[in-house]
Amino acid sequence: MTINLDEANLKDGLLGLVVALVEIVQELLERQALRRMESGSLSDAEVERLGEALSELQESLEKIKLDNGIEDSVTNLRDSLDQIAQDLVDKFLDPEEWAKEAGS
Amino acid sequence: MTEGSGDVEARYLYAIATAGEKQNLGNIGVEENAVYTIPFKKIAAVVHSCEPRPYETRDRALAEGWILEHSYVIDQATKLFGTVIPFSFDVIVQGGDSAIKGWLCRNYDHLAGELRRVEGRAEYSVEIYYDYDQLAEGAMRGNQELRELASRIEQEPKGKAYMLKRNLDQKLKGLVASEARKKADEALSEIRSLADEMKVEAKRSQPPEKYREKRLLGSYSCLVRNERANRLGEVLEEINALTGFAVRFTGPWAPFSFVKLGDAA
Repeated sequence: MTINLDEANLKDGLLGLVVALVEIVQELLERQALRRMESGSLSDAEVERLGEALSELQESLEKIKLDNGIEDSVTNLRDSLDQIAQDLVDKFLDPEEWAKEAGS
Repeated sequence: MTEGSGDVEARYLYAIATAGEKQNLGNIGVEENAVYTIPFKKIAAVVHSCEPRPYETRDRALAEGWILEHSYVIDQATKLFGTVIPFSFDVIVQGGDSAIKGWLCRNYDHLAGELRRVEGRAEYSVEIYYDYDQLAEGAMRGNQELRELASRIEQEPKGKAYMLKRNLDQKLKGLVASEARKKADEALSEIRSLADEMKVEAKRSQPPEKYREKRLLGSYSCLVRNERANRLGEVLEEINALTGFAVRFTGPWAPFSFVKLGDAA
């Protein structure tokens, strides 16, 4: 299982990887925040503070991507990670795949 | 599959066809080689005579030319003999016509069986795409709660507006995904009812230019009887005409995804 970083430019590749990971963490945080907001366990002031922090993080990530020209490599990296996750899920759900794994 | 080592001759294999007599197809092969059939009982290998080494080049245009020539021979063989068992590019067997005949003889039952299985059928490729923005627009129009959420975003301060926007995006994403999945399931059951066999293909990350802005919902290879191909085309055209969906339907191809060479390979 390999992830193709941009070999011609390792710095961009590494930065892209970091940004992709931060984006994933941010999405997890957002999901958690939304769940708490919808369940009513956050006050208006807390929602506002959380929203502002997440929005600023989002803006910073967009700026880093734009400044370094790594939008495409982050998107591709995230697609690759999605695909890996998807393949794993498919493998878990498909008994034929277990048989193949066992036979190999 | 190598035969008669020490032999300097070899045969380039295009396909196995239902054909009982030797026939020349003309100089239509890779690099204009003369293509002919080597029959055994009721089946025949479609070949050209070559040296026992693979076609290799670093010249992309040349390689593409070879692959087009290879496909052309398979098309012509299909026109002449009906559905064939196609080989992929660059399958070369060491030995002369007798070596091929021996191979056909040893695998006759299997190959003849496979030819009967694909007879009167062809392979088609179906890719279903959807346009996220168009489906999201449709979902917004049909959902009062989402429209209210959207209008609230404009009235709230920055932080809360951001959270509401994310909430809206997430809800839309869920609605679009379930709409797309519903449509894919409908399409799949229609395709299944028309195809003799169907395979779900791995999703390709690079769709053709026309579909670049869209997302791939599913990619399928289907083995379809010739008389049902038009109906399949009509069904897919109905999906293609739906707002937010697009279908790429290509074929007929030789049944590359469906023939099983098994031990014969």
